[in-house]
Amino acid sequence: MDKTGKNKITLTKLNIMLWAVAVIAVVVLVFGFCHTAKTSSARLEVDDRIDVTPTIITSMKQIGEWEFLSVNDEELVDTIKRGFLRDDKLVRIYYGKLSLGINMHDVSPRWIRQQGDSVLVALPKIELLDKDFIDEARTKAFIETGSWTDADRDSLYHRAYAKMLTRCLTEENIKTARENASLQFGKMLKALGIEKFAISWQE
Amino acid sequence: MMNRLYFNFLIVFAALAVAGCSRKQTPRQQPESVDTIPMLVMQVQKCSRLYTAEYKMHKIITHDDEIRMKGKFLNQDYDVALPMGSRKIAIPIDATVKAYIDLSSFSEKNVRRVGDKIDVTLPDPRIEMTSSRINHGEIRKYVALTRQNFSDKEMAGYEQQGRQAIINDIPQTGIMEMAKESAARVMVPFFVGMGFNEKDITISFRKDFSDNEIKKMIVTASDAERK
Repeated sequence: MDKTGKNKITLTKLNIMLWAVAVIAVVVLVFGFCHTAKTSSARLEVDDRIDVTPTIITSMKQIGEWEFLSVNDEELVDTIKRGFLRDDKLVRIYYGKLSLGINMHDVSPRWIRQQGDSVLVALPKIELLDKDFIDEARTKAFIETGSWTDADRDSLYHRAYAKMLTRCLTEENIKTARENASLQFGKMLKALGIEKFAISWQE
Repeated sequence: MMNRLYFNFLIVFAALAVAGCSRKQTPRQQPESVDTIPMLVMQVQKCSRLYTAEYKMHKIITHDDEIRMKGKFLNQDYDVALPMGSRKIAIPIDATVKAYIDLSSFSEKNVRRVGDKIDVTLPDPRIEMTSSRINHGEIRKYVALTRQNFSDKEMAGYEQQGRQAIINDIPQTGIMEMAKESAARVMVPFFVGMGFNEKDITISFRKDFSDNEIKKMIVTASDAERK
């Protein structure tokens, strides 16, 4: 074999060696990458918890609201903005509780008195005990398409308020509250050992 | 040779297309209809609750959300805030919390009479958040250009968390003591009117309550719905 032939063989061997090293390097890299990928993880997170902030008591007072009928209500309120291509819609569900009863701060000075062997009770008229009856923080966002402002939400609140008032503050409910008040007062007086009593209502 | 290859390819493609088109039309299953509007309920309940104490509470709910990338690389935990812009919101909320005595279960068992004296043990007070109001005019938001505005659902979620945070703070407010004192103030004239002397009337409660016990006395929305 001549000198050129020997050189060719040496070069071919070198090539094979280089290729082998390259292949091994690639395999090691791929293996290493796979191993790292297996033990690694990545995720995007958005924290949806609120921050810790203080709760402040703005007022405290002694009250005497005697509730005889409790009306829990839910109202579905929606609003639509007509658009060129599509209509935007906002639907929310509001929750509220209307309390019907008597305010003990409105009773007359001698609203309960003894007359002979009987007890006479004169109760003030049944009324809505608290005008703030919607628990707005419980509101459920049901449908929202398009963009809406806080003023739109405020307006929905007022509509839900009016709806609840119409639905719950009815003559029938006031009558039921009145009947229950008479029943409950009678029960209490009996529990205190009073058999003879008369309950009347102030107009 | 190439032409033949193209010809074969076309045949295979056409066959696949025909197969795709002539796929037997299975009757499309009608999606089961689901009522997505939650049942709206008006629940009327007869009761006899004497509300004796009222607290007005205020809270500013704040939320600062930034997108963070969290994970593990080379066995090392990492947590990096991505520079995609942040969003901030502050929602002022006012709530009314009231304490009441449930007198519907009041009976002769609650009354003890010895001569002219009367000793009345009232049922344990209960606490309830009766209303809450979001001050929409005072809501402040910051939304980076790269982020979407806060959705109604997200805001409602923060408000519900804020509501729960107020409820969790109730035991520290001292409303229970005021409720008891006020109940006595309302009930004493009742017994005086019935002919008892004020000095002969004793209004008491079963016991003093710890913060944990007070927590259990808070009537939540789900309790009210269950009733």
